[in-house]
Amino acid sequence: MENRLKEEAGKLLKEGKVDYIVGYGKGTVNLRTSPLITNKEEDLEGLVINPFIANNLSRYPVELKGRVGIVVKGCDSRSLTSLMQDKKVKREDLIIFGVPCEGVVDLKKLAGQIGAEIDRVTDAEKEGENLTLQVDGSKKTIPFRDVIFDKCYGCEHPTPLEYDMLLGSEVAPNLDIEKSLERIKELEGMDAQERWNYWKEQFSKCIRCYGCRNVCPACFCERCFVDVNMPQWVATYATWQDNLTFQLIRTLHVAGRCSDCGECERACPVGIPLRSLQRKMVEEVKDLFGHEVGIDKDAPPVFSHYEATDPDEFMK
Amino acid sequence: MEESNWEPKVIGFLCHWCSYAGADLSGSARLEYPHNIRIIRIPCSGRVDPMFILRALQNGVDGVLVSGCHPGDCHYQSGNFHARRKFAVINRLLKYVGIEPERVQFSWVAASEGPKMAQVIGEFVEGVRKVGPNRLFKDEKKDGE
Repeated sequence: MENRLKEEAGKLLKEGKVDYIVGYGKGTVNLRTSPLITNKEEDLEGLVINPFIANNLSRYPVELKGRVGIVVKGCDSRSLTSLMQDKKVKREDLIIFGVPCEGVVDLKKLAGQIGAEIDRVTDAEKEGENLTLQVDGSKKTIPFRDVIFDKCYGCEHPTPLEYDMLLGSEVAPNLDIEKSLERIKELEGMDAQERWNYWKEQFSKCIRCYGCRNVCPACFCERCFVDVNMPQWVATYATWQDNLTFQLIRTLHVAGRCSDCGECERACPVGIPLRSLQRKMVEEVKDLFGHEVGIDKDAPPVFSHYEATDPDEFMK
Repeated sequence: MEESNWEPKVIGFLCHWCSYAGADLSGSARLEYPHNIRIIRIPCSGRVDPMFILRALQNGVDGVLVSGCHPGDCHYQSGNFHARRKFAVINRLLKYVGIEPERVQFSWVAASEGPKMAQVIGEFVEGVRKVGPNRLFKDEKKDGE
């Protein structure tokens, strides 16, 4: 898979069919991968595809000028399609390498499972249903599905929907919706006051680093409303009130665009369960308007059109 | 403020072409509606940004009422249809994070519906009165400010 990608990407650059290749490279810490963006053929040797390719790369083509060859997983491909709907990227400017995905390893979960820091793991290999690790020189085997991101349990499209070249064979969804919605159901079981207190506590931790916004492929405003100072909608310093308002508005801005790629939560340095907001809105948008994110690249964005029959039983 | 003499303070974002005129009509018809509402005129219900609602609540009002033209009656053809989609998700999200549903209400009121406007405002203010003062964004320490 990796070799085919390197070969095809090399060809694209050589023939001048793309200006950039956007893929995954080795990270600075063992196991971790980081985005590899290049226009030089010799850098392509560094491309990797493994169960640790967590980043959603789909926001890079928005910022890169020119044609881009990009590597996407199932969820990323839907983000990319959503960006096409919003006319932020053009399909003809992209050459998409699809990676059928059986789930991506959540390094936090993995660290918990092996009871050690990730940098003590020197090697990891997915073998069938298991992940075989070398920890401090000894071999360890753990079930793969125990360490993947929560979002992956609810993934209905593990194989990218939009691609020019599929690396590997299609993967059938392996759904465990209940597990992926566990936290949301837990929250819905609380009463309003408890829920509010829960979010209040979570957003007291927020340091307003804007990591969630910066990593989000659906957050493509050139000037974010938090950076606007006439009028200043939210304070620029961190108070839980403004942090919460900021995130609620962000949630509404990305509703109908969010493919539940989970990058916001992964990027959050203080561990706020942001997916519980975003995923909830994915469900709501589907329930209200029957809109699934990133399925049809020619469909209009959900909030730029309407139906006369849209639900309005909440209007009094 | 003492709980006993607390009066709800609510904000109404009313569309210039219908609900605002409806409120006007209820006034000229000498109908009474609670004085707890502070009305802000907007050009269309489509103008309402979710930020308006959240900022109002954050700044301490007890309720927010948004009212526009009935579907199909929009002065700008489709402003209220677009607004309706937005309101639907705002409504669900606010409920989900734990804001009492009585605090935020969306309505359709036409320019000719003076009595309905008075009734909508009346019922909304009563609903807000039942859930009590808005302490959502208050800090425990700074309470009573």
